[in-house]
Amino acid sequence: MSAADVAAWRARIPGAFGGGARGRVLAVVGWAAFLLWLGWVLWHFDVTPRRLWNGLSGLATILRLMVPPSPGELWVDILQGLAESVAMAFLGTFVAALVALPLGFLGAGNVVTNTLFRFSLRRVFDGFRGVDQLIWALAFVRAVGLGPLAGVLAIATADVAVLAKLNAEAIENAERRQVEGITAAGGGWFARLRFGLLPQVLPVMLAQALYFFESNTRSAAILGVVGAGGIGLQISERIRVRHWDEVAFIILLMVATVAAIDWVSARLRRRLIGG
Amino acid sequence: MGLTAGLRPVAALAQDDAAWTGARGMLELQGLTRRFGATVAVDHVDLEVPAGQMVGIIGRSGAGKSTLLRMINRLQEPSGGRILSGGRDVTALQGRALREWRRDCAMVFQQFNLVQRLDVLTNVLIGRLAWQRGWRAAMVLVGGRFTAEERAMALAALDRFGLAETALQRAETLSGGQQQRVALCRALLQQPRLVLADEPIASLDPRNAQLVMDALRDVNQRDGLSVLVNLHHLDTAREYCDRIVAMQAGKIVFDGTPAALTAERVRSIYGITEQEFAAEAEARRAAERAPAPLAVA
Amino acid sequence: MPGLRWDALLGGVETEGSLAFWMYRLDSWGWLLFETANMAALATLMGAGAALLMAFPAARNLGAGRVVNPLARRLLEAMRTVPEIVYALIFVWAFGVGALAGILAIAVHTAGACGKLFAESIENTGLGAWDGVRSAGGSWAQACRFAVLPQVAPSLLSYALLRFEINLRSASVIGFVGAGGIGEELYKVIAFNYYEEISAILLLIILAVFAIDLLSERLRHRVIGAMR
Repeated sequence: MSAADVAAWRARIPGAFGGGARGRVLAVVGWAAFLLWLGWVLWHFDVTPRRLWNGLSGLATILRLMVPPSPGELWVDILQGLAESVAMAFLGTFVAALVALPLGFLGAGNVVTNTLFRFSLRRVFDGFRGVDQLIWALAFVRAVGLGPLAGVLAIATADVAVLAKLNAEAIENAERRQVEGITAAGGGWFARLRFGLLPQVLPVMLAQALYFFESNTRSAAILGVVGAGGIGLQISERIRVRHWDEVAFIILLMVATVAAIDWVSARLRRRLIGG
Repeated sequence: MGLTAGLRPVAALAQDDAAWTGARGMLELQGLTRRFGATVAVDHVDLEVPAGQMVGIIGRSGAGKSTLLRMINRLQEPSGGRILSGGRDVTALQGRALREWRRDCAMVFQQFNLVQRLDVLTNVLIGRLAWQRGWRAAMVLVGGRFTAEERAMALAALDRFGLAETALQRAETLSGGQQQRVALCRALLQQPRLVLADEPIASLDPRNAQLVMDALRDVNQRDGLSVLVNLHHLDTAREYCDRIVAMQAGKIVFDGTPAALTAERVRSIYGITEQEFAAEAEARRAAERAPAPLAVA
Repeated sequence: MPGLRWDALLGGVETEGSLAFWMYRLDSWGWLLFETANMAALATLMGAGAALLMAFPAARNLGAGRVVNPLARRLLEAMRTVPEIVYALIFVWAFGVGALAGILAIAVHTAGACGKLFAESIENTGLGAWDGVRSAGGSWAQACRFAVLPQVAPSLLSYALLRFEINLRSASVIGFVGAGGIGEELYKVIAFNYYEEISAILLLIILAVFAIDLLSERLRHRVIGAMR
């Protein structure tokens, strides 16, 4: 392939040779902007190779101290913390599911027909969703004091909104005919809800609640970091005093518990929504 | 415009050629065998292909034709036997040497195996990957920057089959026949010695099938490449090939000129008439074409 | 709750009960929020980049070898099962108090979570193109780059954007353990029971999360639309 051939092809199909000058300028500007941003961020957060290196060697030391994991002397506390976390997750989800049940009916388009009310309710749900569970936990620790109660309240508050939204959607997707059947039989508003809608949506809601229980066991494990009880408190205390072997033990325990609960709950859910 | 001329240094070409077309022929299979569990897909196949020959391999589905070609390209590992090229054993090649061998025996597939979301040009340029080394290979890997010379080569190859204008389209926008010719262009960019075509027309309508077979013949005659093509149409094999190899249950049961493969020979080999053989192939093609989601989007 | 008064709502910073009085430190909070978003962006970039590199060996269908493949899968698993905040607690010891620890904590978790999704994406693509590139003599890395990456790029990008939304939430609380961002400020005002400040910061966080959700949803739709 001679240079003349290449030139001939470049003239015939310029797009095949990396586009026009405009495309190239755009690409250069785009990359320059990206690199500028990257440089600024790295500089601003003081990410230097030296810091990274020092940190990594520190991390290596920590990792070395983590092996072998050990329960330490206060292993009863650890187990108690774990049980407390699971209990927090369970209670929090339970309360959230209970409160979300009526809220879901209020938010559903086929139950409450006032659009403005429904719209604003859903926006409130969205707003709650934007606040992380840890923020709620911190706030409740201030309000009701250190301990698992704050954790339960945090989990419940953070989940009510999302569960209510999901419930509302499940209710909207329910079949009309069963409700109409109750109406035809002379049932009132409450009877329609109780016998027409609820039997249809209850299994879905239960499955959702179980799913939230799963994810809440993960988050309940860390809420203790801000003082809301559970195993998170144990782990942050041990990190504070640098008992790394015990930290490793708690992490492994957490991972195993979460995996076990995932497994059980996945099986239960499959049975609930028929698979 | 001769495509293979120009990029490979002439001296190296002559030297390579000596190795390739040496005393032992350019491709030689010795007792090549492949088992899948208890079944034997390819059973002790011996075959010698001289340079520049166009060989048609025929057989009913499941006869082991595909496995045979895929073993030659080393996409599948043989269970036994050897593959020789110019006296060199390629059965045990690894790493860079294996990739160079694959580059030298280009493969064309029934389903084209193009990257659907990439443009036609880049699909063809994939044929150049095995030629790049070190720093250049890394640059292409990260930035996808092929050289202007490589791009011009790809365009020339596409132009040869009337596809230059589609170079900037995505592969998925092309018809099956066009995609197969793009795949052939990719094969040519590898500057191979040998083209292995695995049922190249089985997914195409008759008109496109003819275009692709013409293209393969052109590659064989003008570029002097050896072509091994799997077919299940006896007529096509007779029309295009210098030599026909018939396979049945993993074994070679016929090896000769098209003229020698008479209707009686076909019946004695396969136990069915040539018409039935063609009908079977047609039925299989219809079945394969129907669910193919590869056509124009 | 802030003591807002309707009659003074639009008054100046000095007027008690006005919006400006409530948000009297909007400039520094806005800056902190911007910093938090940058932390999330950098962490997402690093995490998704690492995930991209690890997803190819972790995918079951690309034949990455009997040692490398399980190794990559286990590594991704370990990265995503440990919560970010735990990583942050540990990294604060190793890298010191500040945003770097938070960024790295989020990045590690992101790499694990995205890596799994990326690998699944890769496992769902057909291997026709892979065979095509390999048969042409392409190396394993070249086949990943040219046969697989173009096919999965849109879904990978949309996963990464989704992760950015999640990471913004995480970045806003990771400061609770001293790992930078607006979380540190929030921790402080909650600790001192400055209720007006708490509500102001929470509102800002909600608005930012909302805005980024909207933006990223649009981007995701455009990415999927343009590339399909």
